[in-house]
Amino acid sequence: MTFINYVAREINCKIVYYGPGLGGKTTNLQYVYQITNAENKGKLISLATETERTLFFDFLPIDFGQIRGFRTRFHLYTVPGQVFYDSSRKLILKGADGIVFVADSQEERLDANLESISNLAQNLQEQGFDIAKIPYVLQLNKRDLPSALPVEELTRHLLIKGEPVFEAVAPKGDGVLPTLKAVARQVLIELRKSA
Amino acid sequence: MSHGAATLGAACSVSSNTFNLHDLEYQRIQTVLTRMQKELRAQLVLLINRSGQPIVISGPAENIDCTALASLAAANLAATDGLANIVGEREFSVLVHQGRQRSLFISDLLKRFSLVLVFDASASSGLVRYKCKRTILLLEEIIQEFQRKIEKEEPVTGIPQFTDEELEELLR
Ligand SMILES: Nc1nc2c(ncn2[C@@H]2O[C@H](COP(=O)(O)OP(=O)(O)OP(=O)(O)O)[C@@H](O)[C@H]2O)c(=O)[nH]1
Ligand SMILES: [Mg+2]
Repeated sequence: MTFINYVAREINCKIVYYGPGLGGKTTNLQYVYQITNAENKGKLISLATETERTLFFDFLPIDFGQIRGFRTRFHLYTVPGQVFYDSSRKLILKGADGIVFVADSQEERLDANLESISNLAQNLQEQGFDIAKIPYVLQLNKRDLPSALPVEELTRHLLIKGEPVFEAVAPKGDGVLPTLKAVARQVLIELRKSA
Repeated sequence: MSHGAATLGAACSVSSNTFNLHDLEYQRIQTVLTRMQKELRAQLVLLINRSGQPIVISGPAENIDCTALASLAAANLAATDGLANIVGEREFSVLVHQGRQRSLFISDLLKRFSLVLVFDASASSGLVRYKCKRTILLLEEIIQEFQRKIEKEEPVTGIPQFTDEELEELLR
């Protein structure tokens, strides 16, 4: 749910990073946190297991600056990718304005990617949203690993609607910001349309 | 990121997927929250939405990160709703976390919002519950009245009509 505060002149949006376990969602947020100036970010909150797998979510509020006198604030969330945390994923997905799907490029994770996309479509539908309409970006992460499938092959399997696609190596930050900006752009364009 | 901005402003129109806060409603909500905050000598009272965004904040809030608090409180409430479902309850509409120095009260409000209170652990939690219940009724009235108003009148205007160039400049 986009929250427009006319008194404080702020636009608040929620972006959710979705995708299979160990795909690199948390790493995306950690990188954004690292490179953002202190005045433009809040705390990075990670509710994780002792082995650093996301248990409930990660949360990072960031500020993109002003547009037409409105501050634009994005609340970034990750879901837990492991299959059995589906009820937590549904909770985090509620009220999302845009989705980043972080795919794991490795050949052996293709089925996990496909399963996660269909799980996303299903969970969105349950909440009355259509994956074909919601702002959505595909990130092909782990491009540095030897078993990464070619981009053409991955997009053939994972592309759902001609969404923007970004190659990424999240720990190095490659592709992280372009992904975030692309989803933010779509969210703000949607918002402008809703007037 | 500071939470000061949310303290300055907010009030509300609720369309299906955006929530707009305008001055009049903001003032009314702020008044209700401030009264409760004073009566209970609470450290902090927040109205948040269920996506975890702070909407109106009242109280000194020193060294409490309201952005983080709102996000965690909303998640906490959502998780508790999930638990309620599993054991066959419709909801647990109120959560109280009792600490040694500070306690936390989180309550549902119209399924789309939540009232969050940080108060001194020495305060009577019965009194807190009582006041919160009353405050929630008042807030529900304000929000529902506002909702009826916008349903009758024109759709909310004022969504910034920035140009593509301005958007690209923002995302540079
Ligand atoms: N080589 C390589 N490793 C990566 C890349 N992205 C993430 N990793 C590593 O993969 C592991 C899992 O990354 P996370 O970001 O925790 O994955 P996640 O998607 O949050 O996983 P869940 O929380 O279980 O859903 C970590 O050890 C990361 O350092 C990448 O692009 N290349
Ligand atoms: Mg994670």
